[in-house]
Amino acid sequence: MIEVYLIHLLIIIGIYIILATSLNLALGYTGLLNLGHIAFFGIGAYVSTLLSINTSLPFLLIFIMAGLFTSIFGYLLMVATNKLKGDYLALATLGFNFVIYSLFLNWTSLTRGPLGIPDIPKPSIFGLIIQSNLSYLIFVAIVCCLSIGFLYFLLKSPYGILLQAIRDNELTCKVLGKNTFKMKWQAMATSAFFAGIAGVLYAHYITFIDPSSFSLYEIILILTIVLVGGLATLKGSILATVIILIIPEILRFFALPSSILGPAHQIIYALILILILMYRPKGLFGKVDLG
Amino acid sequence: MIVVQLLINGIIAGSIYALVAVGFSLIYATNRFIHFAHGGFVTVSAYLIYLFFTLVGLNFYISALLTILIAGFLGWLVYKLVYAPLKKRKVSNAVLLIASVGLLILLENLMLLIFGADVKSVGYIQIRKGIEVFWGIITLLQIVIVILTVILLLILWFFMKKSRLGKIMRAVADNAELANIIGIDANKFCYLSFIIGTALAGVAGILVALEQNIEPVMGTGLIIKGFTGAIIGGVVSVPGSILGSYLLGLVENFGIWFLPSGYKDAIAFVLLFVFLLFKPTGILGLRGKDREQKL
Repeated sequence: MIEVYLIHLLIIIGIYIILATSLNLALGYTGLLNLGHIAFFGIGAYVSTLLSINTSLPFLLIFIMAGLFTSIFGYLLMVATNKLKGDYLALATLGFNFVIYSLFLNWTSLTRGPLGIPDIPKPSIFGLIIQSNLSYLIFVAIVCCLSIGFLYFLLKSPYGILLQAIRDNELTCKVLGKNTFKMKWQAMATSAFFAGIAGVLYAHYITFIDPSSFSLYEIILILTIVLVGGLATLKGSILATVIILIIPEILRFFALPSSILGPAHQIIYALILILILMYRPKGLFGKVDLG
Repeated sequence: MIVVQLLINGIIAGSIYALVAVGFSLIYATNRFIHFAHGGFVTVSAYLIYLFFTLVGLNFYISALLTILIAGFLGWLVYKLVYAPLKKRKVSNAVLLIASVGLLILLENLMLLIFGADVKSVGYIQIRKGIEVFWGIITLLQIVIVILTVILLLILWFFMKKSRLGKIMRAVADNAELANIIGIDANKFCYLSFIIGTALAGVAGILVALEQNIEPVMGTGLIIKGFTGAIIGGVVSVPGSILGSYLLGLVENFGIWFLPSGYKDAIAFVLLFVFLLFKPTGILGLRGKDREQKL
């Protein structure tokens, strides 16, 4: 019994690690104040769900296609908000989230709206169907390690250093002849790609998606994780994902009804977010301040 | 005539947005950050009037007065506990925005925890059959809401333009540093704007509670409308945010002529987005340069 629960928790943690590290790429390393990350997560989830239900393409192809499709949105969001700075940028990206959420909710011919889409098939790779939760955990772990590895080497490369330079002083980078806009949209598109594949992993694990999985509450959770871990640190984001997702699990031992459990989770996340901003703005291992 | 009905609906929606927007804009003008949690206080106020009037059974006017007073106090409290310490550390506006989104979620879920997820209704004025005005239908309550809003907005406008306090507040909004130099304690007026702004959220909460059912998550929708109205109207200008709110109410209601009503929030955001990109100062916000300097 306990193993089932642990495996479930580990799968969710794996998915959120991909989500948190990819947000940190945009928010922490490149300094793009993106509050619309959950929209990417949702787009990835919906695209792969719709493709795997309506077509017979192989899963791995769908997996990559969903990620790439999401990264197009990352590019578009960057193009649209390039002129905005500071809180106006935060507001616009938050708005992007609401617009995508409304689309999920109201484009009923495609997404079935609030009813959600049930019976999403489990992935099959080269004829091997990932049926049990344990094998799904292994699959998530592999994807998670590959994503972190990719981000780690990307951020250590000269390219990654340059991204951080853009965050610290964009004007100087421009003076040095760097095409900062191109790098910014590339960073945003990469960040969106990983959020998209995290969405794919989520959809095919839960096998049911509805718009409420991609609401404002999820933004708070993912922001809390990234800020607790600290900006511009992959290690921090990974550790914070584990901590933040485990803390509310303690509440389970009190056998509370779900009508209390749900709001209690959100209250805990919101409180952690506010307190970390007030008392430890750099988080656990953060290198830079937000904004 | 559907046009008249949409026009009426737009004006009613606009009135409520305007009440949310002026409080928001008053706070924004003196503090210069986006107080997203403002919508949360509208929700809290709606629940307060439900608590005092429907559950406890106090007289309606006493309940309303209590609600507004408590809302004002909560505004003071939240500034004292959260925003003042953050501002002291000179954090960026984005941090304040994120903190206030956190606060909004906190307030919504507190209401959810205390009052439960099912919708509540205050039931002070029974919904009667609407009155027909020029081929459209409007209820008595809605007429009261529109008139009350207009009166309140006029009082607020008069207060800001003519009274000494209002003038000082505008001075602080205009240039906090300069106000400090001539001996105005700008910090005190940040508190004051939070008290008045949140008390206005209290009024908005009461009217919303009378007009529609109360649910814990309604604050998010309201603040989206409120700040969209404020920003497209020119956020530092109170008349601007009133104008913007009515404009939003109309655009939204005419928008659902073509789109399902679920897209209301999306329409607001698209409108906001267009303004942020092409006219970030809003319709009446003339101090474009000033805004850029603050960023």
